[in-house]
Amino acid sequence: MDKILAKNDFARWLEALASYRLYAPQNKDDVWTYELIESPDSRGLADVMTAVPAKKIVFPQREELFAFEEGDEAGYALSELLPGEKPTVIFGLRPCEAKAVILTDLVFGGEFVDEYYWKRRNAVTFVGLACLKPPSPNCFCLSVNGSPHGTEGLDILLTDLGDTYYVESLTEKGEKLVKAASDLFADPKPDERTRVMRLHGESEKKLRRSLSRIEDVPEKLKGMFDSPFWDAESMSCIRCGICTYLCPTCHCFDINDEVESSSPLQGRRVRTWDTCQFPDFTMHSSGHNPRPDKAARLRQRINHKFQYFVEVWQNYQCTGCGRCITLCPVGIDIINVVEKVRDHAG
Amino acid sequence: MVNIEDLKAEAKRILKGGNVKYIIGYERPSNAWKANPVFARTPEDVDRLVWDPSCIHNLVRFVVDEKRRKAKEKPVDSRPIGVVVKGCDSRGIVVLIQEKFIERMDVFLIGVSCESTGVVDERKLAKKTVGTTVLKVKFGERMNYVVTTEDGILDIPAADIIADRCLECIASFPVVSDHLLGEKSKRDVPKPFQSVEKMESLPTKGKWDFWEDQLRKCVRCYACRSVCPMCYCDECVVDTINFAVTPETTAEEKAQRIKWLEKSPADSENIFYHLVRAIHLAGRCIDCGECERACPVNIPLRMLNKKMEKEAKELFGYDVGFDAEKPALMSCYLDGDPGDFIR
Amino acid sequence: MPANVYLPLLAKVISVKEEVGGAREIKTFRTQFLNGGFTHKCGQCAMLSMFGRGESMISISSSPLVKDYLQFSILKTGRVTTAIHDLEVGSVIGIRGPYGNAFPIDAWNGKNILFAGGGIGLAPIWSVLQTALLRKGDFGELTLIYGARTSQDIVFKDELADLRKTMAVHLSIDVAEPEWKEFVGFVAQNVLDKKPSPANTIAITCGPPIMIKTVIKALKDLKFEDDQIFTTVENKMKCGIGKCGRCNIGRYYVCKDGPVYSWADLKKLPQEY
Repeated sequence: MDKILAKNDFARWLEALASYRLYAPQNKDDVWTYELIESPDSRGLADVMTAVPAKKIVFPQREELFAFEEGDEAGYALSELLPGEKPTVIFGLRPCEAKAVILTDLVFGGEFVDEYYWKRRNAVTFVGLACLKPPSPNCFCLSVNGSPHGTEGLDILLTDLGDTYYVESLTEKGEKLVKAASDLFADPKPDERTRVMRLHGESEKKLRRSLSRIEDVPEKLKGMFDSPFWDAESMSCIRCGICTYLCPTCHCFDINDEVESSSPLQGRRVRTWDTCQFPDFTMHSSGHNPRPDKAARLRQRINHKFQYFVEVWQNYQCTGCGRCITLCPVGIDIINVVEKVRDHAG
Repeated sequence: MVNIEDLKAEAKRILKGGNVKYIIGYERPSNAWKANPVFARTPEDVDRLVWDPSCIHNLVRFVVDEKRRKAKEKPVDSRPIGVVVKGCDSRGIVVLIQEKFIERMDVFLIGVSCESTGVVDERKLAKKTVGTTVLKVKFGERMNYVVTTEDGILDIPAADIIADRCLECIASFPVVSDHLLGEKSKRDVPKPFQSVEKMESLPTKGKWDFWEDQLRKCVRCYACRSVCPMCYCDECVVDTINFAVTPETTAEEKAQRIKWLEKSPADSENIFYHLVRAIHLAGRCIDCGECERACPVNIPLRMLNKKMEKEAKELFGYDVGFDAEKPALMSCYLDGDPGDFIR
Repeated sequence: MPANVYLPLLAKVISVKEEVGGAREIKTFRTQFLNGGFTHKCGQCAMLSMFGRGESMISISSSPLVKDYLQFSILKTGRVTTAIHDLEVGSVIGIRGPYGNAFPIDAWNGKNILFAGGGIGLAPIWSVLQTALLRKGDFGELTLIYGARTSQDIVFKDELADLRKTMAVHLSIDVAEPEWKEFVGFVAQNVLDKKPSPANTIAITCGPPIMIKTVIKALKDLKFEDDQIFTTVENKMKCGIGKCGRCNIGRYYVCKDGPVYSWADLKKLPQEY
């Protein structure tokens, strides 16, 4: 179902959605992040790439799993702390972030269904904004089977036509949002549809970066496990967590017990983001570490994204948003690294 | 003006003579305006070296990595490494020597003067170049930067986009070096510590609210800690494991290690982490500004450390990172130290 | 299993036995579920929860044919295992599982089984041994070649004494001791010394990484094929269900796709464990 919404009416649409929790990119201290909308911007949505991706809404950095309390006969009382399912809308999502949610769905589903993730994820309606120009100089979504106007994972795709948004509802959830304020939406004229198609086509030519022949990479990686390549590439890595924490497809986590009182013992088991780049990620209690140095950890990140995930799910675990490139404090560039892998002799 | 060809010539000289293992300098990738650290081992590598206002990183951070590498090297190559250092960076070397973390002969310092300007603040530059893409930034002749963008060349006064720390710089010229490039210059700093004074003037509640608000943004990526040359401890308050474990470390020792901090980014944990780090850097932080630059969510971390630097100056008359012969501030007690807090 | 994959079931400790004292302390625990429960297959593991401390993935060393309890033998090595070692009979812990793949014992009907273990490594393969003993007639000859650093570090001392009555048991310690009458040397050397035949035999080995390497080499020298040799692998784990991303060797998560591997499969994987 395609509709047109005047940007001037955007705030009124949000008012009609008062029963939902509404997120949109907002600027705080020169950093864009998804925050709850307090006062809708009458200019519509910001055309930006946030620092922290939308994954933080379906996979928060801190998630309480359950509470434990030392009792008498039963030993302990455990109370599940599943998240509520308040309907949520994320506005202004870039197509790469929506595609990333599809990829994290694969991880959190399967044989062991992670209810915490799914309760949050199922309550979200994803309203994306097509990237008519790349929001980052390091975007390369087209090279990893994505698109600046991709619809994978979205319930609605908005395209900016200047004073209006072209509103493409892709799912029932999307249609429901539109129907909540149907009087604000008009039917599109034929030339508007044509204009959207043209803008979408043009947007594909504007990406500044690409990673060609990526299909050669998984096989190449298989033969490079013991190569000194990784040592050379990881020389300047400072082993922080920026590349992985801010990656929309990364999902590694830690589980720890946070104790509130020790007698009687009371606390919560909490899941938090973790990263394969921290030295203690794989360190055994004995001190033995299968990935003892930065070379091994960089290799793991690249292998996981461009070989292992491909072998298991037939998808690259990267949607080309370029955050890791833009925000790495020492400029380690995943496109450059993977290109070098692709062209590596032997 | 610093002549990059002179820098390259010196770098090639010491590499060719086998005097150093490798040289850490700056290079600029073809598709970005920002320089990155590079490890030069051959004359071809050296040809890639640059010196421009985007040479923001504190390369002394990699001296710490080198020490870790050397500990695992067999046989040990005890030659020094070459490091390109700006004024602020060189103060970091002084602190590492004071703390006996490295010896002076472990490094060959190619000192570079920032002369009258300093390095560019990426975020400030982004604000001046909305809608276009920056390709290159060069030092101008008149306290300005020449910024080449896709849509033309901009002439921006240095004061508009210079890094905040450069506005309070007390060492625009390396305090220690083996080879020096550029003019010895002194920047007029009207009021050192002025960035902190505004915060100091707020009432306590205002200060607390400000920091609670800012630190709530923290994602605990530890980029601030990871990029800091002074955060070199193998046993850190933040980690759940003591990295200095050996096969002889008993289970009890590991079990009894205090968990100072939860991993989760709750407000209390974030505040605790940053305050502890600031205190651990008291008298050690040289204000290279890297922590704030690396922070992906733009927390004004410099202010916390600058406050500590101010205390070191006001309470003990101590300037961090100038005199390698002096004992480190926190490792000594001098008779003249203020004692009025002892009742 | 409760629907929530992170929520453990509660179980109480019904027995605690000190196997090995000293610096490398090992205790064996038996647990009974308070409510519900699960059955497991040989080789599978469970996450034991010490509330307030954390979780630890431990192989279930009792046979699935034993319904009254689950048995775990645990080496004290860090925060969680130290807390486990402080448990007494009646203490309540959390257990979630069973996790991982299993030894394909149904494919081993009629075959001889050789168990080669070192130190605490006897625990993961103990479930297979116990099952084989309970299913007499399903398998051929059972042989155990087991060693430890010193005679004090030998686990299941009482059970081994009983085992000798029904099957071949060859023990070893690394360095000679005055009272020790059996083989002195490493487990791999003992394997070569006893020359088990590969004919119609499956070999299962588990122990410290260096022991596994040398035993596999010894078995290959004795002409065992790669698919006749099985072992278990361990890695640091947190979720136990293949989601937290930390225990992987290549594309496989040890918690979910392991811990049991044939040497034929394991040798193709990167050395990342």
